[in-house]
Amino acid sequence: MSDYEDRLGESVSALMDGEATEFETHRILKEVGETSGARDSARDKWQRYQMASSVMTGEPVLKIDLSGAISAAIDLENAHRINPLTRHAGSAGRFAIAASVAMVAILGVQQLNNGGLENADAIQFAEVAVDEAMQNTGPALQFPSGFQPNIQARTVSVGGNNKTSRQPIVKTFEVRQPINKQFSEVELRSYLNDIMREHSSHAALNSSQGMLPFARVTMNSVAPEPE
Amino acid sequence: MLVELWFKSIRLAAILAAIFVHGSLLAEPMSSGYDLVAGMTKASKESSYTGLVTYEYRGNLRSIKVSHIVRDGKTYERIVHMDGPEREVVRREDDSDCLRAADLLLGGRPIKIDDDNYAHLRDLYDFHIRGDARIAGRLVSMVQVIPKDSFRYGYVVAIDKQSGLMLQSVLMNHRGKPMERFQFIDVAIGASLDNVKWPQSLTTSDAVEEPSCQQDSTLSSTSAWESRWRPPGFVLSSYRPVGPGGRESLMYTDGLAVFSVFIDASERSRSLPDVEANLGATAVVLTKAKFNNRQYTVTVVGEIPHSTATRIAIGMTPTGRLPANP
Repeated sequence: MSDYEDRLGESVSALMDGEATEFETHRILKEVGETSGARDSARDKWQRYQMASSVMTGEPVLKIDLSGAISAAIDLENAHRINPLTRHAGSAGRFAIAASVAMVAILGVQQLNNGGLENADAIQFAEVAVDEAMQNTGPALQFPSGFQPNIQARTVSVGGNNKTSRQPIVKTFEVRQPINKQFSEVELRSYLNDIMREHSSHAALNSSQGMLPFARVTMNSVAPEPE
Repeated sequence: MLVELWFKSIRLAAILAAIFVHGSLLAEPMSSGYDLVAGMTKASKESSYTGLVTYEYRGNLRSIKVSHIVRDGKTYERIVHMDGPEREVVRREDDSDCLRAADLLLGGRPIKIDDDNYAHLRDLYDFHIRGDARIAGRLVSMVQVIPKDSFRYGYVVAIDKQSGLMLQSVLMNHRGKPMERFQFIDVAIGASLDNVKWPQSLTTSDAVEEPSCQQDSTLSSTSAWESRWRPPGFVLSSYRPVGPGGRESLMYTDGLAVFSVFIDASERSRSLPDVEANLGATAVVLTKAKFNNRQYTVTVVGEIPHSTATRIAIGMTPTGRLPANP
């Protein structure tokens, strides 16, 4: 007898005594539903236990199996069972929703990534997207975006005026869908990085901030090799 | 008669009072926000310090280790990125007395823009002291720097009371929202650093910079390009001729803000699309210009509003020195 069957036997016993956990109950119901010719199926076991129980309590022993009919009847009914998870809704629930928003954002960006931006740094984009999700909750500080090329030639949905802030990041990524791919995204990114680095070293010499402008140079995508 | 004498004595008292008040002002000069900011640049050049700085923009945080050591008239600087890929930048300057355009502007010296105009920092920004605070465990004066036009951003800087060093700098847009923030979280200043050894060998992916001192007077505009429009007060502070990358660069500053213009005629840049991008507070505008049947890529990068960067990019025009079509 396998480990699994052992444990199933214990579960059936527990269910008889009304001590089975929810998880065990589900497993037994699933096993009982199986009509495979298992040597010692959960259904047989359940019936034997019931019989023994009836004998001990002096009840008449009936060997009638109603389970099939009952399952059929249940199947016909509309589902109105409450998801056990929603019982725990509250602060945890809200957190879960927030987390799922972030997840959706990450997934969305990664999909776009796969579509148009090979070699681009997914983590960097994900950070931007998560940031956007947080921004929707109205933080006190609103910064402009992370590195977000807004390619003018293809701007369709953004609306055309160049406000420095308030550019919806998700839209920016939508704009990135290549219409005609005469240039490489990697190439553009590397070019902008080169220019940023040169500007920073300029700025470090000629502003009041000393070396600090060097901190501005993006680290995530330093000099990706040109294709 | 008596009345006349009374008037005379009043006048004398007034004159004495005026002299007294004036004298006390001279004896105990109130440092203005402007003085603090101007002193900050001097302090950051002349004193030795080392510390940890955080750089924050739009929810992103980076940390860097900064060392700035002045010894025997030479300056050594080093920046190590503490997170992400290993990277450090090292800079040596043999002439610590080099005064660049920004130093002159911040020092209150007007810089000649052209024959008729001089740039002066106080014409461009208002400086207000906003009380005291504590940063990196030290007492600082907070100074708010507000631009007088909408072509540039404002700042809130925290200046160490003892040393005059800048310990925090926040770039503010016109709606008063912070766009990026540099802030020391720990700093050691002055004599305690006299024994700090400068590493002789360099590790990992180092960039070493040994800039030459390009002073205001030596900056001849040898570029074949000039900017036909830029915000008032910006002067040319640096010029780099066409390098191996195929682009030349012109750099401008008003003393606080900085932007660079890159002109690129290389094959590599030709395939790039027009771009407008932001990285933190840095605006990037890449556009194309055509002169003499030759295509050039003009890129403006700087901590300036997008609209300003766009106008600057459009305003770049070649002088007569531009090579003719091959």
